[in-house]
Order: sequence, then C-alpha cells, then structure tokens
Amino acid sequence: MTTRRLIWILWPSFIVGGIAEVLFFTAFDPLDMMFLGYPITWSREAVYSVGFFVFWAICAASSTATCLLQLTSEKINR
Amino acid sequence: MQSVQTQEATAEPAEQALYEVRNKIHPRAVSGKFALSRWFFVWATQLVFYGLPWLSWNDRQAVLFDLVHRKFYIFGLVFWPQDIVYLSVLLIISAYSLFLFTAVGGRLWCGYACPQTVYTEIFMWIERRIEGDRMKRMKLDKASLNVRKVVIKAAKHGAWIAVALWTGFTFVGYFTPITELAGKVLNWSMGPWERFWVFFYAFATYGNAGWMREQVCKYMCPYARFQSAMFDRDTLIISYDQERGEPRGSRSKRADYKARGLGDCVDCGICVQVCPTGIDIRNGLQYECIGCAACIDGCNQVMDKMGYPRGLVRYSSENALENHLDFAGMIRRVVRPRILIYTAVLWTIIIVAAFALTNRVPVKVDVIRDRITMVAPDDPVVENVYRLQVMNTSEIPRQFRISASGLDGIELESQTQPIFIDGASQRVIPVRLRADKRQTRPGANRVLFTVETVGGDEQIVIEEDATFITPRSE
Repeated sequence: MTTRRLIWILWPSFIVGGIAEVLFFTAFDPLDMMFLGYPITWSREAVYSVGFFVFWAICAASSTATCLLQLTSEKINR
Repeated sequence: MQSVQTQEATAEPAEQALYEVRNKIHPRAVSGKFALSRWFFVWATQLVFYGLPWLSWNDRQAVLFDLVHRKFYIFGLVFWPQDIVYLSVLLIISAYSLFLFTAVGGRLWCGYACPQTVYTEIFMWIERRIEGDRMKRMKLDKASLNVRKVVIKAAKHGAWIAVALWTGFTFVGYFTPITELAGKVLNWSMGPWERFWVFFYAFATYGNAGWMREQVCKYMCPYARFQSAMFDRDTLIISYDQERGEPRGSRSKRADYKARGLGDCVDCGICVQVCPTGIDIRNGLQYECIGCAACIDGCNQVMDKMGYPRGLVRYSSENALENHLDFAGMIRRVVRPRILIYTAVLWTIIIVAAFALTNRVPVKVDVIRDRITMVAPDDPVVENVYRLQVMNTSEIPRQFRISASGLDGIELESQTQPIFIDGASQRVIPVRLRADKRQTRPGANRVLFTVETVGGDEQIVIEEDATFITPRSE
C-alpha cells in the first residue's frame, strides 16, 4: 500500500510538474530572471533541470496533501 | 460499462496492490495479423524516434528542440518562445485525433502505437529470445537460484539496459545536437545534465517496459480512466461473442459439440495466456483491456485448428453484437453525429493552424521605451530613447531599415542602417527619436516605427506603435 501511495503522489505530480515546467519556461527566460534579488549565473540547462524537480516537488506536496485528506477516519483513529 | 464495474468489484483485492503482490504476468507469444500490425507500428514509430535526430536540414539537425538557445527547429521551420500558440494547437490536434480514433476504433493508440506498448513489445521480444516462451519463463522464475539462472537473467537485463541507454541517448539527442552528443559520449565528456537526463530516461524506459509493463496502463495512465467518455455503443471494441461461444467447454475435435449443447469456445485459455494485462476477455469489456488484439490472434489460431470459423473473439461493437451486424453494417455506423463533429472540429483546427503557419511573418518587432526623456532648457528639441527588439525568426539572413513617423519633423538616430540580422537570431537596437516640442502635445504622443527589409526576395514591412513623451512645461 505504501508503494502504491508513493506512486499516487509521485506520478501525477511528475506529469503536472512537466506541464508546469513547459509553460513556465516558455514564458520566462531563466537568464532574464532574478533569484532572491540576484541574477542567475547558472546555465539554462541547469535552471531548466533544477526547475523541473522544483515543480515536481511542489506538485508532489499537493498530491501528498490529497492523499492525507483521503484517509478515512478509521485509518486515522487506529 | 456495467460489466466493467462488476469486474472492478471482484478484482478489488488485487487492485489494492501496486506494486507487487500482483501475480507476474508471463504473456505467451502470439502471431497473427494483429500481432503483425503491432510490429509494423513498433518499427514505424521507432525508426522515426531513433532515426529523426540524425537527419540534417539547412546544415543543422533537422529536428532539434534547442532549449539552451530557446529555439525549436523542425525541418524548415524555426519556432521561438513567441510561437507557443503553435505548440498548444499541436496539443489540441493530438488530443482531438485521440478522441476521434478512440470513438471510432477504441483503444487503437494503446494497442499499437503508445510508447508503453511499443517498448514493452521490444522488451518482451528480448525476453523471449533470451529466456524462451511462457512455460520456460515461468519455470525459470520458479527455479531456485543457480548459475544458469543468473547468467540468463543477467543477459536479459544487460540487453534491456543497452536498449534503454540507447533510448535515453536518443531522447537527449532531440535537445542537444546528437552528433556532438555522440562524440561526447565516446570520450565521456558529456555535461552533467546531459549525462543525468540520458540515465534518467534510460531508467524510466527500463523500469516501465521491463518491470512495470501493464501496471502503467492499469494504474498510472489517465487515458485509461477517461476513455469511456469517448466510447459509445458503436465504438469498435475487442469482444468475445458470448452467444456463439457459450456454454464453453473442452471437447475432442471430432465430437459433435452442438449435440452436446456446447458453444464454440473450447475453454483452452489461450486468450488469457496471451493477454499482456492478464484479463479474461470473455468477462466482457474491461478498462484493463488495452485493445492489443492478442486474444483475437490467439483465438483465431485455435478456431483454425478446430476447423471452426474465425472471429469468436473479434473487433466488434456493442450494437453489432446485439443486432448481429456484419462488418459492412458496422462500417456504416461509423458515420454518426459524434464522429462527424469530432472530424469537423479536427479538420477546422488543422486547416486554420496550417494557414496561420504558412502565413507566419518571419520578422517580429517589439518596442521598449526607455523611461528617460531628454529635454534641455531653452532647447525646443525633445528626445526619447527606445530599444527595438528585432527578431528574424526564419533562417534567411536579412537587412533592415528602421524609420519613424507620426510627428512633424521627427528625426531618428540609430546605428548605421541598414542593420544586418543573421538567420534565426535577434538584435536589440537602441534608437533615439527627436522632435520639436512645438510640433507635439505635452504628455503622450503616438509615433509609429516602421521596420522594413532591404533587398532580399521578400519585402516585409512591420509597423509598431510607440509613445513619445513631451514633458509638460512648468
């Protein structure tokens, strides 16, 4: 069940994270962005790659919350 | 879809477990016209996938999604971030095609062209070559660990990993020029991210096609969950002819089975053994069925051996089964409102997109006004500064002349004109506009920048609005 839940969290967030990545970086060029007030010195490749994992992680957090809220009261009271 | 619900209810305990606790499925090899068509699609899609990055066009890679330079090359076309609308249109066209194909032919995509099916097919072929067919594989899996088993398993995984790595390499070759990448692979000097994505994609291929297989379709694929919305009673589905098959039962080839009250199904279980998702098609339409038609091929072979007509399991529709429609009758039912609407919408989008694409202006201009307005005391001349971003989106180098109009006696100062811009590149050109204060209104005035090509086969004129600010006199 744990593995299954893990896939429920990681898989949809992978797809949605990928879509978010494409939309975001089509609209914004990493080289034109500031990070916490500083210009970004990384290559575009690095920003795209790290950006993807950040989007994936954020979406995974949302999936985790969904999974948590889905638990039935019996499971929580146990 | 009644049968789907009952099936799901009975299958609940197995459903609870992704991953494992599932019984490993050992699909039996099958041959027949549908297996053959699947191999045709495996070859067709993979020749395109593995071969496309190696093609050249205009002295560059024909299809290259150059993320680092934010430009996509597809044969003669160059797409810029500004062209995202075409990407969305492409997605809409893909989605609508999927709707259309699904409404007409059920899960044709899943059964023949989906990468999950295609790579699983390739990986299962390797598995069969190394481990043998179903019975041999089951025996090998049951056998205790010995040298022979280790060698066979290592050979299989080695071959899988090789295919997976080549797939990962090809995938990255769509984003970074593949000939350069190949050179870097050979002397192991890939960039960290190139290396990472080759292995990431290879790992995904190996995991999905080698280990997860049908579980991807059953538990991870969103399409499998909403396909029923596109199905209707005339959609082609793989179905077992219950009327003809039941009551099922084994019999000798010579027995008069009809006298014994038996149907055509000899209950040999071949349809279950060949199924990559491990279902029994005789239980009716199930969401696990990916429409691969392996059971049709398998059953037809058995029917041939028994001397019965083929098609006990066949492509049919709910309507056809109920009303005993023949093939021609089913084809006639393809023309129905849902299909006509899908087709009309799809063609409208394709035509509009193709028209927009062929009439795309290969030059884009964006005017950014500087906030500084220069005005000297006692001097009637006001100066505004702009930056003109001129993009030459096609691959033909062009020369441009920039001029301004809209105010009497307006003067433009910039670098030496005409300005040269290479193919598929852009330049930001600082421009000063000067005008006599008396010719303008205090506040915002409308001016017009004209950017036109000089020479070349194609005359392109782009006009872009801007504001010219005259300070209000104190």
